[in-house]
Amino acid sequence: MNSFRYRQVSAFSHLLVFIPLSIVFLLFGRYAIAAAILAAGILAARLAGKPRRRKNDRPLIVFSILGGILILFIVLPILNLLFTTEPSRILAMARDSSVESALFLTLGAAGVATLISLVFGIPLGYVLAREQFAGKAAVEGIVDMPVVIPHTIAGIALLFIFGRAGIVGAPLNASFNVILSDSFWGIVLAMVFVGMPFVVNHARDGFLKVDPRMENVARSLGASLLSAFFRVTIPLTWRALLSGAIMTWARAISEFGSVAVIAYYPRTINTLLFEWYNFFGYTYTKPLAALLLLVALTIFVALRAVPRLTRAEHDQT
Amino acid sequence: MIRLEHVSRRWPEFSIRDVTLEVREGQYLAIVGPTGAGKTLLLELLLGIHNPDQGRIFLGGEDVTLLPPEKRGIGMVYQDYLLFPHLNVEQNLAFGLRYRQGNRESGRQKVRETARLLGIDHLMHRYQYTLSGGEKQRVAIGRALVTEPRVLLLDEPLSALDRSTARRLRTELKSLHRSKKLTILHVTHDLAEARQMGDSIALINDGELDFLGAAADLLRRPPTLFAANFVGAVNVYQARLEGEDGERRVVAGPIVAQPGAANPSGRHTGMPHLIVHPDEVGLLSGETAPGPNLLRGEIVGIADEGNYVEVVIRIDDLPEPLTVYISRQSARDRMPELGASVTADVGNAIHVLYE
Repeated sequence: MNSFRYRQVSAFSHLLVFIPLSIVFLLFGRYAIAAAILAAGILAARLAGKPRRRKNDRPLIVFSILGGILILFIVLPILNLLFTTEPSRILAMARDSSVESALFLTLGAAGVATLISLVFGIPLGYVLAREQFAGKAAVEGIVDMPVVIPHTIAGIALLFIFGRAGIVGAPLNASFNVILSDSFWGIVLAMVFVGMPFVVNHARDGFLKVDPRMENVARSLGASLLSAFFRVTIPLTWRALLSGAIMTWARAISEFGSVAVIAYYPRTINTLLFEWYNFFGYTYTKPLAALLLLVALTIFVALRAVPRLTRAEHDQT
Repeated sequence: MIRLEHVSRRWPEFSIRDVTLEVREGQYLAIVGPTGAGKTLLLELLLGIHNPDQGRIFLGGEDVTLLPPEKRGIGMVYQDYLLFPHLNVEQNLAFGLRYRQGNRESGRQKVRETARLLGIDHLMHRYQYTLSGGEKQRVAIGRALVTEPRVLLLDEPLSALDRSTARRLRTELKSLHRSKKLTILHVTHDLAEARQMGDSIALINDGELDFLGAAADLLRRPPTLFAANFVGAVNVYQARLEGEDGERRVVAGPIVAQPGAANPSGRHTGMPHLIVHPDEVGLLSGETAPGPNLLRGEIVGIADEGNYVEVVIRIDDLPEPLTVYISRQSARDRMPELGASVTADVGNAIHVLYE
C-alpha cells in the first residue's frame, strides 16, 4: 500500500466529519463547541500529515465536502432531536408504564427474532459460501427480497400465510390454539422476515473469508465437518456473525410497517409512537422519539464497540 | 500402504484421469508437475476432501474410497501453512488430540515432544502472525505429526520459504522421514526438490500420471515428450522406423538407435523420437574414420555452464544442432573452438520414445 498517498488523502478528508459537526453546533447556537470541533479538525488534519497539496487532489476536496453534506443530512435531525428535548421530559417518558412495556416488548421480540434468524441464517450463509449449485443466484436473490419489498406489503403477505385464516395460521389455530396475528409471535414473525437478510449475508461473507482448506486441515487432524465448523470456522467469523446479528436486531427494533399490519397489538414502541403522533401530534411525541433514539444509539454504539475492543490480530486477514 | 486404482474425478473445468499409483510404507514419493497439473487435487482426493467418480483408494489394505477425511488418518500440510489464527502454537499443535485416544497428560507430552523435535518449543504461546514462514511451516508439520498420521501429505511445503530456510527444512524433513519412518507424499513443481526429496517420483501432467519411478529413470528415459520437456531434455529429434520386423531401427538423420534402446514402458504407438543424452556423447577432434553414430559437424556454440561446458554442433542431415556437455577437465585439456570441425561419438547415448 502506498501509505504516503493514503495519508495525503486522509488529511483533508477530516473535513468530511468535522465540518458538518461544527455546522450542527453552529446551528444550535453552541458557538464554542462548534469552534472547538473545527479547531480539532484542523489540528487533526495537520497531524495526519503535512501534504504538499497537488492540483489533482482538488476533486478529493470536493468529494469530501459533498460527502460531508450527506453526513450532515443524517446527523442534523438526530442531534436536533436529542439536543432540543429537555432531559427531564425524556426521563419522565421512560417511566411511563405503556412506554416501558412497549419498549421491553420491542427489544424482546427483536431479540427472539435475531436468535431465530441466527439459527436458520448461519447454516444458509455457510451453504451459500461453500457450495455451488444450480439456482444459487436465485436463492441469494430471495434472501435479499425482504429488503426491497415494501414492508406493509410484506405484512399483508405474511398475514395470508400466518393469519387466522392463513394456510399455516389456520391449522395452528385449530390444532394448538396458537394465534399469530396480534400476538408476540406475530411481531417476531414480521421481524424475522425483515431482519433475516443481514444475518445471512454477513454470515456468508464471513465464511467466504475463511479458506476452506483451513477446514480441510482441521478434518485431516480428525475433526468432523461439524467439529471443524465449530472449532475453526465459527471462531474465525464471529465478528461477521455478531455484526450481522446487530444489524438484524437493529432492523427488527426499527420495523414498523409489517409489524403494524400483522400485529398492531400488543403495541411495539414504533406502533405506540405512531399512535401518539396521530392522536396527540408532534410536540407531545417528541420526548418519546428522543428516548427511543437514545436507546437505539446506545445499543448500536455498544454492540459495534464489542468487536473492536477485542484483539483483532488473531483474525485471518 | 497407499494404492490408487484407476482413480478419476471430473470437475467442470478440470479432471483427474485414471490415476493408478502405489506407495510403499515408509516411502518418500515426490509428486511433480507443472502448475495446474492437478497435483493438489490428487492429494485432496487422497485426503478425502473430494471423492473419486471412478476407481478406488486403499490405505494399508483398507478401502477408504468413501471414508471422510477425519477417518483416514492422513496428515496434510499446505504451502501457506494455514495455521489456525485464533489459536497459539501450542493449541495448534494440540488441535488433533481431542479426536485421539489417550489421556490429557500423554497428549501434552506428545505436543512437547513434537515441538522439541521441530525446534519450536520456545514458540508455544505465540500466535501465527508473530512467526516467520519457516516457523509457521514447522508448526504446520508438527500439528500433523502430533496425530501420528499413517501418511503425511505435503503440498508445496517449501515453496513459500526463502531459499536458506527451505534448504534447512528440506534436510529436516528428510531426517524426520527416516527417524519416524513416515510415509510421505510431497508435491512440488520443482524437479530439483523432487529429486532431492523423493525415493521415487510421480510426474503429473494435466490430471494424468505421466511417469512413476526412480528419478534417474525419469531423467534418462522419459516416457513421453512432456516428461522429456519437463526434465529439460535437449537433443530431442523426431525419428522414423526403418527396416523389417525384428530388425527395426529408429533413425533420425545420421543417428541410428539400436533395437535395445527402445522405450522401457513398452509403448510403441505413435511417432518415434530420439533423445541423445548430451553428457554421454564423446567429442573427437579432426578427421575420424566413419562409423555408426559418429557424426561429423561444426561447432557453432560454446557456453561455459560452470560445472560443465556446453558445445553446440551443427551436423548435416540433423534438423536441430546437437548439444554436447563436456566436463571442465576435458575442456581444460583441449578447449573446443568455434567453427572447428569435430566428430561427435553418440554411441548408445540414445533414448527412444513413441508419441
